[in-house]
Amino acid sequence: MKHLLFIILALFSIKLSAQQKQFSKDDNGKFIYYQVVDSQLISKDTLLQRAKSFVNVAYKKSMIQESNTDSSVLAKGTMVIDKTILVAGHPSGEVSYSFVFEARNGKYRFWLTDMLYIPYQRDRYGNFVPTTKIGVPLERTPGKLGAGAWKDILNSAYNKIEKFGDEFKKYLATNRVEKTKKKAETISTKKW
Amino acid sequence: MKKLLTAIFAMASITCALAQETTTSPLEISGSVDTYFKYDFAKNPLNGKTSFVTDHNSVSLGMIDIALKKKTGKASFVGELSFGPRGQSQSIPDAAAGGSSFNIQNLYVNYDFTDQFSMTAGYMGTFIGYEVISPVGNFNYSTSYLFTNGPFQNAGIKATYKFSDKVSLMAGLFNDWNVYSASRGVSAIGGQLMVAPVEGWTAYINALSGAGFGGYGTIIDLTTSYQITEKFKLGLNAANYDIKDSSVPGSYAGAALYPQFAVLDAVTLGLRGEYFKFKAAGAVPATAFTAVTLTANIKSGGLTFIPEVRLDHNSDKPFFKAGGAAAPNGGQFSLAAVYAF
Repeated sequence: MKHLLFIILALFSIKLSAQQKQFSKDDNGKFIYYQVVDSQLISKDTLLQRAKSFVNVAYKKSMIQESNTDSSVLAKGTMVIDKTILVAGHPSGEVSYSFVFEARNGKYRFWLTDMLYIPYQRDRYGNFVPTTKIGVPLERTPGKLGAGAWKDILNSAYNKIEKFGDEFKKYLATNRVEKTKKKAETISTKKW
Repeated sequence: MKKLLTAIFAMASITCALAQETTTSPLEISGSVDTYFKYDFAKNPLNGKTSFVTDHNSVSLGMIDIALKKKTGKASFVGELSFGPRGQSQSIPDAAAGGSSFNIQNLYVNYDFTDQFSMTAGYMGTFIGYEVISPVGNFNYSTSYLFTNGPFQNAGIKATYKFSDKVSLMAGLFNDWNVYSASRGVSAIGGQLMVAPVEGWTAYINALSGAGFGGYGTIIDLTTSYQITEKFKLGLNAANYDIKDSSVPGSYAGAALYPQFAVLDAVTLGLRGEYFKFKAAGAVPATAFTAVTLTANIKSGGLTFIPEVRLDHNSDKPFFKAGGAAAPNGGQFSLAAVYAF
């Protein structure tokens, strides 16, 4: 019984911590995902180069670079939000966003904002496709009927953007030139 | 026909060599469940001249629809089955088979040879027309005359080339309409040109010629929708079908307009106005229907309530009054609940 109580409390606290994740708002009242990262070992130019590579190579299917300067990259992108049913699920919509990256020596920052949601609907062939081309700002307050579904969308969007942020930070911390030069390890069975 | 098939397969083999493996997507599971109540103003279920929503003064079933999709690298499949009156006895392949326990909505494999070029083979929802069998894909719960008299599904093989996000072209070879296996061979050729001239506006120009309803015939179809503002969307479907043997009834022409306006976040009102004419064939004279359907979609999460009032008119009096006498007008109210997951 004690174990059961402990498990229930643990699950409850996990749920509470999951619910606490939400977007902050910027000066204009728009949702923003904002990160400042210390990066003492990597130069500003390298950070900028890697950020451009992230947009134009790693995420080229979902991001388009809008402009860049000697210390910043601006891009637009979309990411698909999933609806999960137990272990399986399907896409439920997409969120478009503006992406801004700025680098200085020793640190960089990036943020995602201008987030618009476009719901998906299953088409006649069983594929999920956008229902409209006009997105709804994620900041909107939904009516009572759609409040639950909108909360799920916000949670999914936050989780997806947080994952995107983690991938971006990992990408900027990794030297891909050395990584590709490194030969794949071979195992010899002749000597042992 | 053989030469065309050989050319398609040769093209497929060449581009296959260029294909590279990409990531595997998780198995997608989706579907819907729907149920409805309908009340015919003349208390006569025979006044419904289009597909589905057949029962009068009854809480009745639509169907449960379950779809699976998976993509591995460049290859994917879709399998979609439905169970229930809308997907069984009221869908044509099932009726032709004498009433099986399910109806296949989609069962096909697809291969993306490149980002632009893909090929699909199997049994698919038809590329003709605005409305579909699944209630999730339609705004109105009842269906149009154009839907009822056009193809529901096509089995075949098709190639799609996407020139850009604004233009794509599909061409394919198909069996006769609505059959799991061909009764007259792979006997129809079809194509679809998709254009998206401005943001929010998509138009499909479709053609299908070969074995179909009433023998061999050709259908030309325009299906388009334009999301003009965040709240207002306009759809249009126009089609013409000519059976080769002009003495066989079934040729038709018609058009339907679908204006929709979102009055609240969760509430959209829509109208369907349709004109539909069966052409004269031999001794059978032409006859024309006009129909107006006012529908609301009230959404709460995955659930959509669809109250609907429908009025039909035909001066040849195919409808019935409460006493059973022939009438030029028919009218119905229905309330449907559709849950999509």
